[in-house]
Amino acid sequence: MANIFPKWSNTLPLKILIGLTLVGGGVSWGTMYYFSPKFSRPGYMPEQPVSYDHSFHVGQLGLDCRYCHSNVDKSPHANLPAASTCMSCHDTVLKDSPALALVRESYYGEDKNRNRKLDPGEDLNANDVLDGGPPVPWVRVHKSPDYAYFNHAIHVNRGISCVECHGDVTKMKEVRHEKSLGMAFCLDCHRNPEKALRPLDKVYDLTWKPDPEDPHHLGLGQELKKNWHIQPPTSCTGCHR
Amino acid sequence: MKSPSSESNGSSSPTGPRYWRSLDDLAETPGFQNWLEREFPEGASELDAPGRRNFLKIMAASFGVAGLTFSGCRRPEQTIMPYGRQPEEIIPGVPNYYSTSLPGSRGNVPLVVESHQARPTKVEGNPSYKQYGGGTCAHAQASVLDLYDPDRAAKSQSRRSRNNPNWNAMTKSARDDIVAECAKAISEASPKAKVAFLASSSSSPTRAALVKKLQGNANVIWAEHDAIDFSNPEQALGKVAQTKNDAYIRPVHHLAKAKRIFSLDSDFLGIEPDHLRCSRDFSAGRDVESEKDVAKMNRLYVVEANLTLTGSMADHRLRLETSRITSFARLLAAEVLSQAGIEAKGAAVLRKHEKSLGIEPKWLQEAAKDLVEHAKNSASVVLAGSHLPDEVHALTFAMNQALNAIGKTVEYVEVEQGSNASIEDLATELEAGNVQTLIFMEGNPAYTAPRDWPTLLKKVKGKVIRFGYSLDETSDLADIHLASTHYLESWSDGFSYAQDSLFPVQPLIQPLFDGISELDFLARVLGSRQDAHALVKATFARHSKGDFDKFLRDGKSSQSPTKFEQPIAYEDLLALSADQADPSTLSADNLDLVLVPSFHNWDGSYANNGWMQECPDPLTRLTWDNAILISPKLAKELESSSGVQILPNSTMLNKSGVIAPDTATFDLGMQSAPVAKIKVGDTVVEGPVHVQPGLATYSIVASLGFGRRKVGRVGEGTGFDAYPLLVSGERIVSGAELDLNKDLGRMKLANVQEHWSMEGRAIIREGTTEEYAKKPDFVSKMGMESHSPPIYGKDKHQSVKEKAQSTPRGASSYELPDHKPGKHGEILGDHQADEYGLHQWGMAIDLNRCTGCSSCVIACQSENNIPIVGKDQVLRGREMHWIRMDRYFSSEEREGAEIPEDVQVSFQGMSCSQCETAPCESVCPVNATVHDEEGLNAMAYNRCVGTRYCANNCPYKVRRFNFFDWNKRAIGEFYEGPLGDKNDPLPSLQKNPDVSVRMRGVMEKCTYCVQRIQEAKIQTKIKVQQAKQSATGQSGSDLKLDREELKVPDGTIKPACQQSCGSDAIVFGDISDPESKVSKLKASNRDYSVLGYLGTRPRTTYLAKLRNPNPSMPDKYSYSTPHAAGEHDRRAHSGTGSHGHGDDHGDHHEGHKGDSGGHHR
Repeated sequence: MANIFPKWSNTLPLKILIGLTLVGGGVSWGTMYYFSPKFSRPGYMPEQPVSYDHSFHVGQLGLDCRYCHSNVDKSPHANLPAASTCMSCHDTVLKDSPALALVRESYYGEDKNRNRKLDPGEDLNANDVLDGGPPVPWVRVHKSPDYAYFNHAIHVNRGISCVECHGDVTKMKEVRHEKSLGMAFCLDCHRNPEKALRPLDKVYDLTWKPDPEDPHHLGLGQELKKNWHIQPPTSCTGCHR
Repeated sequence: MKSPSSESNGSSSPTGPRYWRSLDDLAETPGFQNWLEREFPEGASELDAPGRRNFLKIMAASFGVAGLTFSGCRRPEQTIMPYGRQPEEIIPGVPNYYSTSLPGSRGNVPLVVESHQARPTKVEGNPSYKQYGGGTCAHAQASVLDLYDPDRAAKSQSRRSRNNPNWNAMTKSARDDIVAECAKAISEASPKAKVAFLASSSSSPTRAALVKKLQGNANVIWAEHDAIDFSNPEQALGKVAQTKNDAYIRPVHHLAKAKRIFSLDSDFLGIEPDHLRCSRDFSAGRDVESEKDVAKMNRLYVVEANLTLTGSMADHRLRLETSRITSFARLLAAEVLSQAGIEAKGAAVLRKHEKSLGIEPKWLQEAAKDLVEHAKNSASVVLAGSHLPDEVHALTFAMNQALNAIGKTVEYVEVEQGSNASIEDLATELEAGNVQTLIFMEGNPAYTAPRDWPTLLKKVKGKVIRFGYSLDETSDLADIHLASTHYLESWSDGFSYAQDSLFPVQPLIQPLFDGISELDFLARVLGSRQDAHALVKATFARHSKGDFDKFLRDGKSSQSPTKFEQPIAYEDLLALSADQADPSTLSADNLDLVLVPSFHNWDGSYANNGWMQECPDPLTRLTWDNAILISPKLAKELESSSGVQILPNSTMLNKSGVIAPDTATFDLGMQSAPVAKIKVGDTVVEGPVHVQPGLATYSIVASLGFGRRKVGRVGEGTGFDAYPLLVSGERIVSGAELDLNKDLGRMKLANVQEHWSMEGRAIIREGTTEEYAKKPDFVSKMGMESHSPPIYGKDKHQSVKEKAQSTPRGASSYELPDHKPGKHGEILGDHQADEYGLHQWGMAIDLNRCTGCSSCVIACQSENNIPIVGKDQVLRGREMHWIRMDRYFSSEEREGAEIPEDVQVSFQGMSCSQCETAPCESVCPVNATVHDEEGLNAMAYNRCVGTRYCANNCPYKVRRFNFFDWNKRAIGEFYEGPLGDKNDPLPSLQKNPDVSVRMRGVMEKCTYCVQRIQEAKIQTKIKVQQAKQSATGQSGSDLKLDREELKVPDGTIKPACQQSCGSDAIVFGDISDPESKVSKLKASNRDYSVLGYLGTRPRTTYLAKLRNPNPSMPDKYSYSTPHAAGEHDRRAHSGTGSHGHGDDHGDHHEGHKGDSGGHHR
């Protein structure tokens, strides 16, 4: 009786095994890579409800980061500005621009005649307070996971500039996710903080570069680290609570 | 003297251990032995069979769904919603703190409440009220959860008739119409159509002013009723003292000054209204820095029926049925008066029942002598329980007067009496049909004051209105339910118990729902246009000239109470004792019943609070249930008369020689309790029986507040209702019978007592003051460590600081920044280098101060987002508390399996000890638990895969596993998995945003509140850097900081447990700083490590407990050491096998051989 299986079939199990390993390996690698923050996050640029242009306001007009993100040096969170912050300029500048409709609605709220007083008929929810309108639903660009507790205040107060994590926002028309902000990204810097440290008065100067004319510009980070006793946590408790 | 069988078995003692945690532990049943050997209690790690089937089904389903949702790779879009107009004080991410206070019937508890973006999350004590020192009780800690109770009445409700079960939600304007209707009823009230209020009492002067206004109308009845009435002492003294303005006389104790304290059935560390002050002062009197201080330590004598927290702290404790306490008080008063040389008319009758009481005369005489001896320095005091009759309070006053205590260790302050009607007065008016409108204000009289309410209310022609927080038993009687607000949503105020401060009650949040506050309601029914805020402000202006904003900022305003200082003639004080009935003979058929407020639910008002329900009672260790507590002797008598098994079986280890698993009282780790009936006259109440050593033989104890008939989802079906036995508010009932019957069956009680039991090792170390003075190092010679090498090896003589910095620690594969080898592989010696941790955290717990009140347990739960798991899961041993309050009993040596009547109690809070060489770390396969450079044993939840090896390897058994998604699923829906109902979202508003909410399948444990540590470190660094920058004007490398400056100042960081501790038993801090408080405590010779001989080098260490017995008392401990101490020795030896049981250890090493002879009889 002739052999049922031809001779080449002898190596078939091995081939299948190798094939599966390759495919499995490829899928695993692919998942690891494409799902990693390094691949999945940079470039994320959602459309915002109000097209606020950082490159214009910061890059050209020269607004300080803290004008809007006013609590970045006090709080773990860098807050987004309330509509009242926008309106401090925009109730005179571009005061009827349709692009700012959402901001105006949020700011004035119940104040229909915009005289900043509670007039008859304005107190819609009957609480005797002139309430603001619905918040502007800004779309979140940067998000650390719920189990990672990033604190803005300590970073900006100890010589880490916004640019280290957010990129050069002064050149962005629409804000996009620039760096990976994965754990490896954090640890890179926490292990070698000298690469990112800068003088305190340059923290919000996103375009600042050490002066190449300065004889010790190369060792500046090292010196700051030493003089300020910068010792970023590299153990779990630093970020995970 | 050895017992004959003492060498017959190596693992257990022949006479039963003297140191044990529960009855089965004591009986050493094989079932219990098996129990001890398991990692988690049986059932804790098994899935139920139906559960498993469901699980497979769900797995299959979820694979199917996975394919469909693959397209959604991009993380979901999130929006950030900033304010329209920025409120001034809110910074997102930075919590605000506001002062307020917890309203109480006799005094408020001052608080500071943490609020995240206007969302109250955590209650803490207000440290500016020095008398409480920032301590709180467990109930205050838990009160924030009630704010987010999903079962609270969101809207006011109405229904067609009082019998209609369907309630309809009302709009705000409909609610306002009802309030207006009430106002109209008041203005139109007539003698035949009165308006009646039934409220619970309050310490608020603003409410008192409103009530006075209401009472200005003769046709308004304002009645007050408290479920648990603490007004007895002040009323009784008010009657005797007869002051001009007819005031009540309230005793305020200053125990810090007292050296000798005698408590007559007074649980002043537990339930009495001023217990926070008493705990703090009492603990201060137990403060011992070194052996030289022992003479300064106070001594506590307790005579009581129930075993209370106060009794647990006693140096001498006498068990006595409550009905006999009065007779005892007479004898004590006679003794104190005669020894103090006071000839009082009428003192002779005090000794009338001396013989029949059967108290050893010497006990009384010596105790009285001790009190009188310290009276010359005014350092003695007598306290009496508020449930005792008037006579006892008069006698107590007489004794304190004789002991020169008044004005020193006890102050009497005058409290305005008010002219409120009682609930009986109200009932009379109701019966007469004079009431047109009845308003139930808060409280819950239908439950706490049972009577035939529906019949009484039939004669109310108008509306019955219920003003309350949730739909409850009392709402069932009403036509309308008006939703009230939580105290964190309302304006009010209140005095302290001692009347020395006024506290504000300040809202932290707008009412979540349509509720109206009590003051607003009363103001509106009075037709006032002022709101509660204006009223509180006006009251403050009347009481003080100070600034209202400062009052709110400080959370208190001091004032001087009216003190009652003139002496009262002994004749008047003893007058009440003149005619005495013979004390009745108690027996198993004529029992004393003591009704106490529940540790969990208080009077029932916390019944829907999951934290309180699941917090184990410090003494019975029960959760989710109450029980009828009986003494072991009574249990034995009842067992033989009824044939129902109450006590554990005897086993070969103690009596009969039969090896059989004892399923009688403990089945698979679940307490199986026989159900019994308490009969008092015609009233019968049914509940499970729990044998509690330390109870007076013929006293039975039942706690109130359980068995609510109409309550929310959490409190549904828990416990039994004992209120029917509370006849006319008397918490002592005579002539009770306990009917045990096989037909009543048994029920399971969720007792956490035996979980993670630590057998017979020197876990808690105790000594007497006498022993400590003689052998200051007794602590290091106990248990295993009396034989093992010194636990710190060659480092033993190093300072706390050196030990913390030089020892290798952790066993993870990570390189520890702290111990980075230098260039040549050597360990760097310079601890100032930036590679080393800036601090080294540690904790010291002084067992001499801890009263076991368990407020730390709730504080931890509240701070760290710890979920509740429900009775079913507690039965399986899956409770999640990060800190547990262990309770150990010890007693004199006994015969066989007899359970002792007299016990000494020791408490120990146990949480993760942050071992330097942590056994959990070396077994974690994924490095989810590793050390950080400051000595914390970190737990990275997102890394944990749930192998549970760490919990298995933890010698302290303090790791908790998320067997289910406790936070996500409703209780009872855990086994349904993704198909189960989600938890109501409302309680999640309480969650602390600085702590991860853990999901199913991860391990968790105490972190020393790492979120508070990190926050403090960050704030210190920012503050220092900014200060230096603005001081020098430098911002670059020319700005130089000192490393020492960056350290967090000592005392800045208080973990939640320490913050809430009313007796300052817990101290946390940097142990690399020799000047820190914790370093100083750890340097004490009372400091020891639990299971130190394992070499785990825990960062949490304990300071040994001291007892201060009076050497001339007849019940002076048979050992010179407390009962607990002898036990450690014996068990340690039986474990090593190096000595026989009968050996006298004193011959072998410097153990606790005392001056009274050997340890064994």
